[in-house]
Amino acid sequence: MDRRQFLGGVALGAFAAAMPGSAALAATPQDQLVIAVNMGSMRGLDPHEANQIESAEILANLYDRLVYFEPDALDAPKPQLAESWTVSEDGRTFTFTIREGVTFHSGNPLTAEDAAWSLARLVKLGLAPAIDLRQWGYEESNVETLIRATDERTLVLETPEAWSPGLILASLASSACSIVDRAFLADKEQNGDLGRAHLQAADAGSGPFSLRTWRANDVMMADAYADYWNGAPAMRRVIMRHMPESSVQRLQLETGDLDVATRLSSTDLDVFEKAGTIDIQKVQGFGFYYVALNQKDEILSSPQVREAFRYLIDYDGLASTVMRYYGIKSQTVIPNGLPGFLDEMPYSLDIEKAKALLAEAGYPDGFSKTLYIGPGTPYFEFAQSLQANAARAGIKLDLQMGDYLSRFRERKFDIFMGRSGERLPDPHSILQSYATNADNSDDAPLSGLMAWRSAWDVPRELQDLVMAGARETDPSRRAEIYTKVNALYLEASPALITSFERFDVKAVSKRVSGYVGHPTWLTRWDGVAKS
Amino acid sequence: MSSPELTTTEGRAGDGRLAEALRKVASSMVAILTTLFGLLLLTFIIGRMIPADPVISILGDNFDQAAYDRVYRELGLDRPVPEQFLTYVQNILHLDFGQSNVTRNPVAADLARVFPATLELAVLAIFIGTLLGVPLGIASAVRRGTWVDHLGRVVGLLGYSTPIFWLGTMVILIFYARLGWIPGGGRIDLYNDGLVEGPTGMLILDALMAREWEVLRSALHHIAAPALLLGYAAMAYLSRMSRSFMLEQLNQEYILTARAKGLGQRPIVWKHAFRNIRVQLLTVVTLAFCGLLDGAVLIETVFGWPGLGQYLTAALFYADMNAVLGSVLLIGLISILINLLTDVVYRFVDPRTR
Repeated sequence: MDRRQFLGGVALGAFAAAMPGSAALAATPQDQLVIAVNMGSMRGLDPHEANQIESAEILANLYDRLVYFEPDALDAPKPQLAESWTVSEDGRTFTFTIREGVTFHSGNPLTAEDAAWSLARLVKLGLAPAIDLRQWGYEESNVETLIRATDERTLVLETPEAWSPGLILASLASSACSIVDRAFLADKEQNGDLGRAHLQAADAGSGPFSLRTWRANDVMMADAYADYWNGAPAMRRVIMRHMPESSVQRLQLETGDLDVATRLSSTDLDVFEKAGTIDIQKVQGFGFYYVALNQKDEILSSPQVREAFRYLIDYDGLASTVMRYYGIKSQTVIPNGLPGFLDEMPYSLDIEKAKALLAEAGYPDGFSKTLYIGPGTPYFEFAQSLQANAARAGIKLDLQMGDYLSRFRERKFDIFMGRSGERLPDPHSILQSYATNADNSDDAPLSGLMAWRSAWDVPRELQDLVMAGARETDPSRRAEIYTKVNALYLEASPALITSFERFDVKAVSKRVSGYVGHPTWLTRWDGVAKS
Repeated sequence: MSSPELTTTEGRAGDGRLAEALRKVASSMVAILTTLFGLLLLTFIIGRMIPADPVISILGDNFDQAAYDRVYRELGLDRPVPEQFLTYVQNILHLDFGQSNVTRNPVAADLARVFPATLELAVLAIFIGTLLGVPLGIASAVRRGTWVDHLGRVVGLLGYSTPIFWLGTMVILIFYARLGWIPGGGRIDLYNDGLVEGPTGMLILDALMAREWEVLRSALHHIAAPALLLGYAAMAYLSRMSRSFMLEQLNQEYILTARAKGLGQRPIVWKHAFRNIRVQLLTVVTLAFCGLLDGAVLIETVFGWPGLGQYLTAALFYADMNAVLGSVLLIGLISILINLLTDVVYRFVDPRTR
C-alpha cells in the first residue's frame, strides 16, 4: 500500500465511521426531557434580572418561591417554600412559616433570612422584574425593615400601603421573587453587585433542578436535584436547545429527537393538529394583541375615529386563520379566568359603520397614517388585514415593520400594533398598564404604562376604580369592581384596542406526560414523566 | 585585499535589506491599524444610527422607567457619543472588548467559543472545496467539450446557483428526517457534550488530542453534512474559476510551443500551465476561505451550528453593539492576517514578486 492509498483509506474510514449506522433516529432517552426554544431574547439567568418568557421557565425549575399557582388554579396560591402563612386583619402584615429541612443546591440550608435577603436583593437591583415588588411601594430604603426574618423559619412581610392580599401573594409567586442562596452569593459578590455577574450563567437556587451547562444561544442542561424537598424529579436531566427555526423544531419533534417544541409556525402546528400525532397546548398568556392609537395626534384622538378602528378589525376572519394558534377573540381587557371577565363581543368587521363614524368625526374622505408593527408572524398578517379594511373605509395605512417598541415608548408613532404579557395572574397587572395614566405629560416617568405611551388621558372614573380594585381586600367585592372596570373600558372608546387574548403554543410529544404550560411562564419539569 | 571590501559591500547590502524589510513591516502595521480603526469607527457609527434600542432588548417585555434609566446608565449611553467611542477604543487597547448584552459574557470569551466552531467548519469546507474543485475545473478545461467538462459545469452551476439554505434544508429533510443518516443539528451529541473542553475549541482537534474517540466520532458525524455542503459551494466556485484560468493558459502560445516540441499532456498541464495559474488560484481560494468565515451564517442557522455567523446575526438583531464590534474586529483582523499570509506564499510561488 503506498502513501496515497493509505491516506485515502484513512479518510474513507473516518467518514464511514461518522456516517450512517450511528443511528440518528433514536428517540430521546426515557429519563431526559429535550425542549426546543428560541433563546435569542434570553438575557442571563439571574432571577432578579431576567424578564423573558424562556428564561422564566428555566428559573421556575432552578429556584423555588414562597408560594406558587397551579396552572389551572390561578386564584389559589399554594405553599412552596412557605409551608403556611397568615395575613393580618388589615391585610398589611403577612407572616410566613418557612418549610423545614430545605437545602439549596450548594448544600446550604434555606432559612427565612435567605427569603428576606432575596426579596431585598430584587428591590435593590431595581431591574425590570423589580416592578413586581416596587409597584407596592417597596424601595431600597424601606425593604429591609418591611421584609424581615424574625427567626430561622419565620418571615414577616409588611406592605408599605394597603393592597389586596391576593396581589401581594401573586407577586411573591412570580419568577422575580425566586429565593436565592445568600451565603453562596456572598462569596461571589464583585463590587457590591450582590452576585449579579456570577448569576448570569450560574444557579444559586433550591429548585427541583440544578444548572449543569449554560451556553447562551446554544444549550441549557439541568440535572435533577436529588435532595429536593418534594422528592427527586423523574427526569434525570432536562435539556433546552436553541432552535429558532420552526421547520427544524418540527422535524426534530417528528423524528423523536425533541419532546417539546415552543416556537412552531401556524403551518407546522396545523400539520400536527390535523395528524393528531403531537399534543398542542394553547397556554394562556395574560396579555392582548392591541392596536394603540396615539392620542397626541389630532385625528386619532377623536372618539369616533377610535371607535371606527374597532369596526375595521376582521375578528372572525383572523380568528380562523392567522390568529388560530396565537390568540382567542377578546374585546375587553380582562382575560378569561380572572375576576371581572366579561364574555362580550359587541364589535365585528363593519366597513359602513366605520365610514359613518369617520364622517361624524369630520373625516368623510379618510386620512393617511403610519402603522408600526413588530417583525414576523402574526403581526404582519394582522396588519395587512387591518390595512386592507382601513383602505375600504378611506384610511390609508402605511405599514412599517421592524423593532419599533422604542418609538411606542417615546410616543413617536401614529398607530402601533403589538402584544402584551404579564407575570402576575391578576387583573390589576393588566389594568394598571392599559387603564391608568396618572400624569399624561411627555416627561412623566410612566413609560412602562401602555396608556401613557398612547398618550391616553384615561377617564378619571376608570383610573379610580382600577386603584380601588387593587386596594380592595374582599375578593367578591374586588370581582365586582373589576367587572365594572371591564365594562367601562369597553365603553370608553379606548386608545388601546384589544382584539385577541394572547396564547403561547407548545407542541408536546405524546410520550411526555405532566408537562403543562404555565400561564405565568413558570412551567415546571418536576411532574414530567415519559413513557 | 579585495575580500574585506567585498564583505563590507555585502554587509551594507544586508543592512539595506534589513531596513527595507523593517520599513515594509512598519508600513503594513500602520496599514493594519488604520484599517482596523476605520472598521471600528464605521461599525460604531452605524451601530448608533440603527433605530434598535439596546436597553429594551435587555429589559424584555415590560418594565418601568426606573429600570430603563438604570440600564441606560449602566450601558454608558448617557454620555456623549464621541466619549463612548473613545472609552471603547481605550478598553480595546487594554484587550477588554466589553460585555455582550445578549449572552452576558465578556465578548472575548464568547468569541473564543464561537470562532473555533466556525473555523473548524470553514477549514474542512475549504479543504473539500479545493481538493475537489480545482482538479474538476482543470479536468473540465483540459477535456473541454467532453462529458467531463459538461458534468463539471453542471455540478458547478448547481452549486453556484442553488441557495445554500435551501440545499441545507433539503439535506436535513432527506438525510436526517427520512434516512436518519445525519444528526439534526449542533456540533455534538448531547451525551458527549462537555466531555472534551479546549485547548483549541475545535472539537475534532481537541478530541484527537484527548484521544476521546467517541467524541471524535460524534463531532465528525455532526460536521459532515454542513462541511460537505459548504465545501460543495466552495467547490462550485473554485472549479469554475480554475476552469477559466486553465483555459486561458492553454490558449497561450507557450503551450502551443510545448505541444509542438512534442511534450505530453501531463507535463503540459501540470508543469507549465498549472504553475502559471497557482497565484490566481491562491487568490480565489483565499477569498473563498474569508467568505466562509463570515458568510456561513445560513448553514450555521440551518444546522444549529453555534458559530461566529449565528453569534454576529443575533448580536445585530438585538442591538448588542459590543458583540458586533468585537466580531467585526475579529473578522477584519483574520482577513488581514490571511491576506498577509497569502502575500508571503505568493513570494514562494511567483518569482516576480520576490
